[in-house]
Order: sequence, then structure tokens, then C-alpha cells
Amino acid sequence: MTAMGRLLVLILVLCGAGAALSLFAGRRRRPAIVGWLGSAAALALLWFSGSGLFAGAPFHATLWSIPSLATVTLSLDRLSALFLFVSGLVLLPGSIFAAGSLGRYVGRYSLRAFSVPYFALFATLVLIPLSADAASFLMLWELMSVLTYLLVSYEDETDGQRRSAYLMLAVGEAGTVLIALGFIVLANSGPLEFVAMKAAGATLGAQGRWAVFLLAFLGFGVKAGLVPVNFWLPRAYTAAPAAFVPVLAGATLNLGLYGIVRVAGELLPASMVGPGLVALGVGSLTALLGILYATTQSDLKMLLAHSSIENAGIITAGFGAGLVFVASGHGSLGSIALAAALYQMVNHSVYKALLFFTVGAVDSSVRTRNIDRLGGLIKVMPFTALFFLVGALSIAALPPFAGFVSEWLTLQTLLLSAELGSTGVKIVFALCGAALALTAGLAVTCFVKAFAMGFLGMARSEEARHARPARIWAIVPMAGLALLCLALGLTPTYVIPVLGRAAAPITRVGAAQALVPPFFAANPHHGELPAAFVAEFHALGAEVGERLMPGRGLVVLHRGGKANPVVFAMSTAYMAAVLALMLLVAYVVFRLVIARRRAVERRAVWAGAIPRLLPEMTYTGTGFSNPVRVVFEALFRPTIVEDTRETVGLHFRAAIRRIRGENHLLDRFVLDPIADSALWVSNGFGRLHHGVLNAYVLYGLVALIVALLVGRFS
Amino acid sequence: MSQWVTKGLATGVKATHYPRAAETAPGTSPGMPAATSLPAARAQLVAARCPTAALRQVPSGVEVDRRRCVHCFRCVRETESPVDWDAGCQWAELLAGSERRGRSLGRAFSRSLHILVVDAGDCGACLSEVRQLNNPYYNMHRLGFFLTPTPRHADVLLVVGALTEHMRLPLRKAYEAMPAPKRVVAVGSCALSAAIFSPSFICAGGVGKLLPVDVEVPGNPPPPLAILHGLLLVAGRKPPSGTDAVRAGANQDRLR
Repeated sequence: MTAMGRLLVLILVLCGAGAALSLFAGRRRRPAIVGWLGSAAALALLWFSGSGLFAGAPFHATLWSIPSLATVTLSLDRLSALFLFVSGLVLLPGSIFAAGSLGRYVGRYSLRAFSVPYFALFATLVLIPLSADAASFLMLWELMSVLTYLLVSYEDETDGQRRSAYLMLAVGEAGTVLIALGFIVLANSGPLEFVAMKAAGATLGAQGRWAVFLLAFLGFGVKAGLVPVNFWLPRAYTAAPAAFVPVLAGATLNLGLYGIVRVAGELLPASMVGPGLVALGVGSLTALLGILYATTQSDLKMLLAHSSIENAGIITAGFGAGLVFVASGHGSLGSIALAAALYQMVNHSVYKALLFFTVGAVDSSVRTRNIDRLGGLIKVMPFTALFFLVGALSIAALPPFAGFVSEWLTLQTLLLSAELGSTGVKIVFALCGAALALTAGLAVTCFVKAFAMGFLGMARSEEARHARPARIWAIVPMAGLALLCLALGLTPTYVIPVLGRAAAPITRVGAAQALVPPFFAANPHHGELPAAFVAEFHALGAEVGERLMPGRGLVVLHRGGKANPVVFAMSTAYMAAVLALMLLVAYVVFRLVIARRRAVERRAVWAGAIPRLLPEMTYTGTGFSNPVRVVFEALFRPTIVEDTRETVGLHFRAAIRRIRGENHLLDRFVLDPIADSALWVSNGFGRLHHGVLNAYVLYGLVALIVALLVGRFS
Repeated sequence: MSQWVTKGLATGVKATHYPRAAETAPGTSPGMPAATSLPAARAQLVAARCPTAALRQVPSGVEVDRRRCVHCFRCVRETESPVDWDAGCQWAELLAGSERRGRSLGRAFSRSLHILVVDAGDCGACLSEVRQLNNPYYNMHRLGFFLTPTPRHADVLLVVGALTEHMRLPLRKAYEAMPAPKRVVAVGSCALSAAIFSPSFICAGGVGKLLPVDVEVPGNPPPPLAILHGLLLVAGRKPPSGTDAVRAGANQDRLR
């Protein structure tokens, strides 16, 4: 057995040990088991996938044959290693956080019901990207659906939580059916190993390819949270326990994207522009709808769930753009787009897990997630507020944090559509670019609201005023992920080559060549770069830090042709350095020069000289997002009930009560019609089941006669 | 647009030239009684006619407490012994400051003074005069005076109206919310002494009871030029004692 094989066995053994130990250990010890064994398994997973991702260590194992189906094969390439590595990044802090936050369930729920499915899901999440044949993939996928259902429905205090979990399971099953159909069409009655399916995909006609793409896109889109099959996602995320949501957003969502990339990008040859355009359009629409609903939410968990949908949309849009570029022969542009999409995926996992940790910490301390009941938390939970701010800045795509580079690259890629020939394609790119730009703007609004209304200002409830600070089990995972957010934002030049190599099977060109010119390497002549070009960037300071950092430099730069030598260029590291320097200089000037001899006087907040400023008088999250609500009213279609009570005649109103209800767009157009028609059909059957025995005998008789007639005349 | 510009240029400057030149337009001030030397019997008579006790009998005649005068004209009309009449309007007075606190605001504020107006129980007359400062004739922007709605940006708190019980807390809060250095300008006889309302159940008499007033602008209501004079004093752009008199001979005919 190879070293990699031993590592994989170690991960699985750790998961098994965790599940077994939590079955037999005492009730108080179970959280510790989740923490220690979970993080140990996550470390092993990081080691395993890291050596596959960074060093390209191969792993391939043919396990056993299922007669007449397939040979169960496990295989690790850089693409699956990337997804595994990201899962590890989320599961490591996630296990620590889960261990801590499980404490509140002691005595109320069985901790076994959490930790056994948790470890089983851990092992499943490890195996899904490894499995290299359709049969085992589908079985593991099914296992994942069931295990996530068990974990989401762990807290079943309210009926809504159970129903949300059940909806997730039902939609997930429908998705699995679509995926299975896609695999069947793709395999074309050949063997079910991915290698063989890839060969079969190359011989598939256009209609077959469209069928496989649409089935896989829709099927995997369920888990990835794409329009029109993501209506389960906000409900399930809100219902899931705080210990599990980060895994849901940081790992299982990625697996949906993994499926799309694997099937639509690799197993199907990228030869048609259409599928890429569909992915781009659906992705942009998903992103816009996601952020619109996120902006108007006042439940922090629900807000983050809708924002996950937005991010999944951005990733899918980037992936679609990449497919279009690859299909129309621009491999290097395609590699930029795919690197941007994968970058966004990595970033999203990191900052979304971070944000869910902070919201979990707030929830366990304040016992509410409603922004309109929070406020002023920065005073009582300073670390949590700081980490939420880091996460919010990252997700709002502000430099120098994670999220900026990937969103910037995604938008830049859409602008590169000028290279494409067809006008129709250009128009689609332009529209999607506009939608994504609007999304980016709304994302800033959304997270300004979440941070400002949740953490700044006055406490709007007693619970928020007396909240306890987050415990160490929450601080440590949050701090780690916050640092990772900063690192991912500062060093895109070291991340992009890794992502480019992961996407290389699809684009056949590495993104590093297209995006990260070697400013540091091969000094002083810089190899492939022209001397005048280098001199120009030298004057701008592109070689600052050369002694400290190995590799290619800190500038992300896309080189064009002769007429346009630099298509775009930027460096978050230098930007951050300049930003820090400017802040420092401003601070020094202000503190030491201007304000040296001045006394600072602090007075109460000016609130129009009212006798007492009550929290109810301050701006709420609902008020902050109301402009968005009003502008997009046609889309939200709220149901407004106004109930006015008059005393004497119409002119004297005693009370006005206004109730505003909102039904999600997809609920109106997808879920409700499906639910209504299912009810209609089952009502029809229900009428047959009336319990009258004589009629049942009649049904049997009719069935017998029909059978006889069919037998007689066929 | 072009017509608008040419018309504007052709019209020229219509605003008053105060304080660069003396104000000559008629009707800009109602005037105020001045200290007069009168025989004791007549002085007693005329002082008794004053409803707010602004006129006080002294051995040499009568003295005027400008802070209490409400321009009722009872001391000049229908009386045998009219007092002298000061037809000017530079009535504002800069009160002596303490050691720590200078009197006017100093050079840094001379071209940009932000003013918060607080109505502490005004009848509307003083506010109406304050509003005139923004019109094209008095146009206080040309002097660098600006109104601001928030005390956080204000250098000067301009108070009008007799300070009622209910406005004591808001006024104190507004004053405390202002950044230092800050000054208080009390405008109108109600703000200065609560002339005809004090003392009563609703007001204790003047803004000075609550805040340290720096500039007093008497008058009921004071004309816009008097308020401007007060603001110029607080900005340190006028010498404290009004030596340059306003020529207002055209006002004399209104008196009798």
C-alpha cells in the first residue's frame, strides 16, 4: 500500500473510530470526541489532499468489481484534491466548533444522533471526490443526501425544521435521479468507470451531449444551490444546527459544483458553446436572485444562506464563461475564468464557514439571530464582531481580503468576451456581466447591513445587551479562518497556479502562464517578459518583496497582444501594504502632530435632543434594506394586508396594522406548482381509497377482467 | 440660461453693504429708546409708562435696559415727555468673557461660522427675522455664516424665545453636544430677559439662567441687521462697542 493509501485509510479509520467511540463513550465525553478525532481526521485529510494538490502525488486504487455494474475505483487528481483540500479547510475548524457548540444540547438531545452521522458524513465527503466510477459515486451521493438529512433534522423542536430537512431530502433525491439518468445517457450502455465514460462522451452526438449536460447540471445544481432547484437551501440552512451549517455551506455545496465541473467540464468534451452559456446565464440569475433575497432578510442565518446561493451563482457563471472560452478555442482565457471560479469556490467555503461560525456564536450567546433584535454586539462580543467584519469584508469582495480577487477576475473574464466572435454570445456575456456587477454592489449593501445593524449601534434587546463573549472553542476556528481570508486575499499569485493546474484537464492550459507572469523568478532578465515591459512595472514597484517571497511575484497580470500589452493588472499585496502605510501615516499625523495638545471630550450621541434615546428609535435592518425591497417590489411580489381600525368615521384611526408576507420567487413558480399538482394527483387516488369493502372487491374484479382481456387479445 | 446670466450680471449686487458700509435703506430698524436727561417728575411719569420696566428713573433722567425693551413706543408716543430715540440697530453686546474663555471666537472662525438656531419658546417674530438673514438682501452667506441642523457642526448656538420649562433639557443637550470652542448668542428680549413673560409658571427668565450667554442681541424682535451685528461680534469681526453708527435718519418720521 502506498503512503497515500495509508493516509486515506488513516482518515477512514479515524472517522470510524469517532463514530464507534461516540456510540460507547459517556455522554459528557462525546463533544470532545467530535473535536479531537474530527480535527485529527481533517488534518490527515489536509495532508492527503495537499500532497495531491501541491505535489501532484498520485493515488489510484481499484477496489472490487460489482458484477454487471462497474469496478469500484478510487482515484485522486488535482481537481478532486482541490475539493478535498477545501473540505479539509472547513472540517478542521468545523470539528472544533462543533465540539464546543454541542455542549448546549447535552441533556436535551442525544449527542450520538449528531456525532455518528457527522463522522459517517465526513468519510462520505472524503470518498465522493475520490470515487472514479458512476456506481460508487451515486451510492456515496445517496449516502451523503441521507446523512445530511439526518444532521439537518437534528434539532427538531419546531415542525418547520423537520419539514425543511424533508424538503431537502426530497429535492436531493430528485437530483440524484437526474444525475443517474445523466450517467446512463453518457455511459451509453458502456462501462461505468469515469475513464471509459470520458471516452464515450467524446463520441456522443450533440443531442446526447445536451441531454447529459442538462441532466447533470440540474441534478448537481440541486446540491450546488442553483436556480430553479435551490428553494430547499435557505430553509435547510436555517434549520440545521450551528455545528453543522458550516460543513453544509463549505463542503457539501462544493460537491454539487464538483459534480458540475467533473461531468460538464471533464467527462463531456468542451466543444459546444451552448452549455457554457446556459451555465453562465443560470449562474448570473442565481447570483442576482440570491443576493436580492439575502439583502432583504433579517435572520442572519437565512441571510447567509441566500448569500451562499449568490456565491454558487458567481462560481457557476465563472465556470460557464470558462466553458464558452474553451469551446471557442481560447484555452488561456478559459483557464483564467476557471481559475476565477475555483478561486471563488475556495474563498466562499472559507468566509462562509467563518460567517456561520460567528452567527452560531451569536446565536448561542444571544439566543436570537434576528438582526432587528441584535445590535451593539461589538461591545460585548468584540472578537466575534471582528471576525464577522473580516468575513463580511471578504464576502463583499473588498480588498485585501479573500473574495476580492476572485470576483474581480470573474468580472474581468466576462469583459474578455470581446475576444469571442459571435455577437449573440457577446450580448449574453454583457448581460451576465451587468447582473454580476449588480450582485457585487448589492452584496456590499447586504453585508453593511448585517454588520452595522447586528454589531454596531445600540443593543435592541436585553439579551443582546447582556450577551456573553464567545468561548475559546468558537474564537479559535474563527481566528484561523479569518487569517486564511487575509492570506487568500493577499497572495493570489501563489493560489492561481495551483488552481490553474487543478483546472488543466478541462482547459488544457495552466492559468499561471496567462495570469501570473514571473516578476520574481528568473531575475534580472525575467525570461519570457520583454525588457521594456518589465522596466515599466519595475518603476511601479512590482519587484518590491523579491527577497522575501519565492516564486512569481505579487502581481496578477493578464497580457494581451501588441496593441494592448496589459489587459488588466493588480496586486492586492501591494495595495494592502500601501493601505496600511497610509493608515499608519494618517494615524501618526493625527495623533502625534495634530491632536498632541488637544483634549478629547466625549459626549452622548446627538439624537435631536429627545429626553431619552431608545433602541426602538434607531435604524433597523429592515429599514436599511427597504430601498432594495421597494425597487425590486415587482420581483418580491409581497402580500400586504392592511388592517385599519377606526373610531368615529373614516378620519379617526385608532390603529393601523400592516402585515407583509413574502413568498420566494422560486416557491411561487416552481415549488408551489409541484406541490399543488402532487396534492391534486394524490387527492384523486385518495378518492379511490374510501374504505368501502365491496368497492375494493369490485376493483379486484375489474383488474382481473382487464388482465384476462389483455391476455386474450395480446 | 445665457439670458439668466446676463440678467443677473446686469442687475448687479442688490444685497446690503453692511458691515462694509453703513446701512442706508429705510425701515431696517424700529429703533430703541435711549438714555435721556429729564426732570425727575417727567422721568417718573415716562418710566411708569414702560410695561416691562425697561426704563428706570435715575437722578439725571431715565436709563434704558435694552434687554427688556419690547418697542411698544409708549415712551415716545402720546406722552408729554418723550425719551430720545436711537434709530440705529447695532445693539448687540459682547459680554465680558472670563479668563479661560475668550469673548469672540477668533480668526479661525471669521470666514466660516456655523450656527445652530434653537427655538426655545419663540412667538415666531424673532425666528422670522432670523429667516430674513438667508434672503437675498441680508444674505448672510456672503459673510461666511451658515445655518446647520446639527449641533455637532455648530460653533454658535443662536437661541430665540423665552426659555420655557419644556425647552430647558433640549437646549442644554444641544449646547452640550456642540464641540468646543462654542458660543451662545441670545436673540430677542424674550431670550435675554423673558421680558413680558417672566417670572411665571412656564418660564424662569432668559437663556442666561441656563447657559453662559456670550452675545446679547436686544430687540423684540431685533431687526436682521442687529442679529448680523451680534454674529459679527461673536466671530470677532466687529469691535465690541458699536462705534460706527448706522445712519437711519429716514426712520425718524415713524416715531410720532
